[in-house]
Amino acid sequence: MSIGALDAINAYGRLVRPTSLSPSNEVTPGSETSNFGNILTGVISNTTDSLKAAENATARQISGKGDLIDVTTAMTAAEMAMDTVVAVRDRVISAYSDIIRMQI
Amino acid sequence: MELKNIMAISASALRAQSLRMRVIAENLANSDSIAAKPGAEPYRRKVVNFEPTDIGGAGQGVSISSVGQDQSAFKRALRPGAPSADANGYIDLPNVNTAMEMVDMQSAQRSYEANLSAIQASKNLTMRTIDLLK
Repeated sequence: MSIGALDAINAYGRLVRPTSLSPSNEVTPGSETSNFGNILTGVISNTTDSLKAAENATARQISGKGDLIDVTTAMTAAEMAMDTVVAVRDRVISAYSDIIRMQI
Repeated sequence: MELKNIMAISASALRAQSLRMRVIAENLANSDSIAAKPGAEPYRRKVVNFEPTDIGGAGQGVSISSVGQDQSAFKRALRPGAPSADANGYIDLPNVNTAMEMVDMQSAQRSYEANLSAIQASKNLTMRTIDLLK
């Protein structure tokens, strides 16, 4: 798995800083660290790679050429990557929702 | 990420134990395979040798370095009618001991289960770390 849970937490940490209400902290849309879209795209492309690997292993197994152990480890890695992405996404979306609901 | 390394190490052990099970199955299947003509050898019991193997910088897994042959003596039996019987009517039987193969099989099975548990445990730990985010 190319993304780790700790990497995800770090990414989230980098992400929430620009969205905090501190006036000194300028939000620069489009920059690498502050753009939620960029971070999400990177993480999701990594996850897609693990999912593709799992899918290939499963396809090979079904056609009788694969190794059951490969399928299991690839599926577990993909599952972990997916869970990490979903957890980070939910956390970030809930942070945005909190900001949207904020009374001005 | 450590989970991937742990899985690679445990998976190498799963593969090694599967191969060991295959060799045990060969031994059991051939426990009655005798030679076809006098002077030839019957089936000789195979044994596996494990060795530590580096897994691409992810630690040391295990692999089977070689499948060797058991050098112990063949059993002798009196079967005058058999094709491989010598002048006195004796033949060589394979040096496979079914009880020993059963013990080996139990050992392979337990080792396989232990490595599955290692994967399960590390997966659970990672899952619970991700749960911290939720």
